Amino acid sequence: MENTRSNTREWVHGLTALILALFLLGVSSGLGIVKNIVDIWGALLIIPEYPAVVMRDAFLSWRSWSRDKNSLNAEVIKLREENAQLRLDLAKLTGEKIYSQDVSPDIKTARVTLRAPMSWWNEIRIDKGEIDKITQGLPIFYNGYLLGRVSSVSTMSAWVELISSTSFMIPAVIEETRELGVIVGNGDGSVLMRYIPAGRGIKSGMKVSTAMIGEQLPPGLPIGKIAGEISSGSDGYATYKIDPGADLSRFYTVSY
Amino acid sequence: MLLVILWLIQDFLTVLSGGGMQIPGLFMLGIVYKLLFDDNSDGSLWAIWSAFAGGILWDLRWVGIPGFFTLGNVVVILIVIQVWGAIPPQGRTGGTGFLVFILMEVSQLIPPMLPVLILGGYTGWNFFLLQQVYSLPAILVTMYLYLKRIRSSGT
Repeated sequence: MENTRSNTREWVHGLTALILALFLLGVSSGLGIVKNIVDIWGALLIIPEYPAVVMRDAFLSWRSWSRDKNSLNAEVIKLREENAQLRLDLAKLTGEKIYSQDVSPDIKTARVTLRAPMSWWNEIRIDKGEIDKITQGLPIFYNGYLLGRVSSVSTMSAWVELISSTSFMIPAVIEETRELGVIVGNGDGSVLMRYIPAGRGIKSGMKVSTAMIGEQLPPGLPIGKIAGEISSGSDGYATYKIDPGADLSRFYTVSY
Repeated sequence: MLLVILWLIQDFLTVLSGGGMQIPGLFMLGIVYKLLFDDNSDGSLWAIWSAFAGGILWDLRWVGIPGFFTLGNVVVILIVIQVWGAIPPQGRTGGTGFLVFILMEVSQLIPPMLPVLILGGYTGWNFFLLQQVYSLPAILVTMYLYLKRIRSSGT
């Protein structure tokens, strides 16, 4: 009996609510007061909704910033490519020697993750490896000058042999005189150029770059400048001290 | 209090989505869930009027014309009361899980369908269908809570 009464009450309330809802649906769209109520209710909800508005705006502004950044990056890459092409065209017109790697827009950077004191002038480890398309023999630069070359590669890191290493021997050319020699480190931070015929008028400040005859490194990679003559042997060849363009004491990131 | 919080969460998520996605009807899921365990001797009048109030407030906030969700919510509650009331309390076990799922699905299906049916529009139907997809995880979580509570009560 109680259950039936409860059921009836539910039906009565339910139908009342239904009729009210239908009534509201039928008449409220034409009532101006509804707009006022909507406005007031919206204003009241500003407080609980405020964090959501802030979070949504933050997300939208981040997305907008991200899109703008991508767009700017694409624009910068396009401009770099145009600039590189223009430099090459200009070099052709003026007869200036310029190599494509000098103007390559596709320069990537790597962070130095290890430089052991025991092999301070010989090698460093960088945080890029096979997955970043690093290969053995790849030239590594700092400040646009040759710093060394990759000696071994693992999946996510690589070892770079520095130009100051005693085992780093590459053919190089003095650009002003076209004299050929061999770049080699002496193990204590100095870089030398050996086997230059004595008495050829080599002066300090002349530019040194990798030579065409090298198989491992492409020609024209800038190395540094002649700092001065160290010795002139009885065999008729002189050794010069090189002032490397890459500061061997102050690099934390390198490029390739 | 729980229903007020659920209504506010639903509103909060709708603002957060910025209209980009349809938010599940958490408020109605909460009422249906409470109704399943309701043993109030006065009947389920609280559910009818809570659904009515929640619906009218939702209409005022998001539709602009009171009545759409109000009507849908009340219809859902009447269906749940009648269907669930037809099952004796001894029979309300884990075996009724599918029926509970259907009731919860109805609570997500009817309220947003009424505006689409009345106002129409291709976009409206798309939004409605999307909401049904987004509602499914919320329904499954509520189902999990229901079954967990049933098991812990030993029925």
